[in-house]
Amino acid sequence: MEANRYSRQTLFPQIGALGQAKIQKKHVLIIGAGALGSGSAEMLVRAGVGKLTIIDRDYVELSNLQRQQLYTEEDANEKVPKAIAAEKRLKAINTEAVITPIVAEATKELVEEYLEAADLLIDATDNFETRMLLNDLALFHQTPWIYGACVGSSGMCFTIIPEETPCLHCLLHTLPVQGMTCDTVGIIAPAVQMVVSHQVTEALKILVEDRQALRGSLFHFDLWTNEYSNMKVSRAKNPSCQTCGTNRIYPFLRGENRTKTAVLCGRDTVQIRPPKQKKLSLNKLAASLKQNGYHVKANPFLLSVEMDGNRIVLFEDGRALVHNTKDTVFARSLYDKLLG
Amino acid sequence: MNKLLFFAGLKEIINADYLEMDLTGKTVREAKAELLATYSDLPLNSVMTAINEEFALDDDIIEKNDIIAFIPPVSGG
Repeated sequence: MEANRYSRQTLFPQIGALGQAKIQKKHVLIIGAGALGSGSAEMLVRAGVGKLTIIDRDYVELSNLQRQQLYTEEDANEKVPKAIAAEKRLKAINTEAVITPIVAEATKELVEEYLEAADLLIDATDNFETRMLLNDLALFHQTPWIYGACVGSSGMCFTIIPEETPCLHCLLHTLPVQGMTCDTVGIIAPAVQMVVSHQVTEALKILVEDRQALRGSLFHFDLWTNEYSNMKVSRAKNPSCQTCGTNRIYPFLRGENRTKTAVLCGRDTVQIRPPKQKKLSLNKLAASLKQNGYHVKANPFLLSVEMDGNRIVLFEDGRALVHNTKDTVFARSLYDKLLG
Repeated sequence: MNKLLFFAGLKEIINADYLEMDLTGKTVREAKAELLATYSDLPLNSVMTAINEEFALDDDIIEKNDIIAFIPPVSGG
């Protein structure tokens, strides 16, 4: 069985037996086990990756099953942490792969601990603050990483090779204030699979050490409007970039640039405070949440929304109170679902 | 004349598939300011701009028949 398992992949000349042997020696770190993380993890484990570490802070819910391919109704009913449910399914798919599931928030310290041993980092997160942290860490440790994201029927993918391509910080000079998220404007599964296909193909090229074949451009698409585009980005490489330029300060590794969470004493509430004051468009967010069936109340100063049985009160400056919980990681996960 | 393309959610804000405007000779920064005067909800300070499918900087000058695309960074996963 072992001899044939990867035969269709080794027949593909760009991989071959040599490439396959390389894939089986490599270690991939995936941050996030939602839709993108599930898809990438499954493809890589089927492809025979040697080691896979997957970090996720969330548990499986019924609303995940429409697109998060590793999970079942049983996982949702039992609220199994995504990393644990993922490990169980991935081991059933391929017993040869060494899977390390980690149920935790992807903090600087945690990601760094695993990044040093990894050959490649795959982004499957749902927010830009974590992506900018991953970008700083990947540049600092000189590890390639693959940005991927999707929402609605659209998505994008970009491979960052330290010292060669621009980094995410070159492309986005500032942290986007308010992104559309899967929880506010929805998502269809084909958009997920399209991003996964691009991320995993780029991953395979890196794992078999065929860097010449990498795309080099930022791919973005909208499946519903039939638009597919590659943006050339070499001009974006910024010599004064704080992450990959000549004077690097890796700003997102600094504590003052991270969102803070705190349990409010005597109240069953977590407060979330972004590092810089935002100026959110609460009316717009309220309208899109209402459209998606959420119970929302809003005035010019704050917005109150029920999400998974918790009430979140969001202020215009980006501060939020998440009621009915003392779990800061869970509260942060709801916040990112709301703002991206 | 220039064609302006809008991606991932921006179309809903301008309520059209694309726009046609004469931006020839203007910088990307000036083009964004002009758009914001009409469509104040466009989150143009956090979108990526491409001219003819190549990443554009704010000081780049738009030429005749250039196609400008506004690409908001996508966050979901």
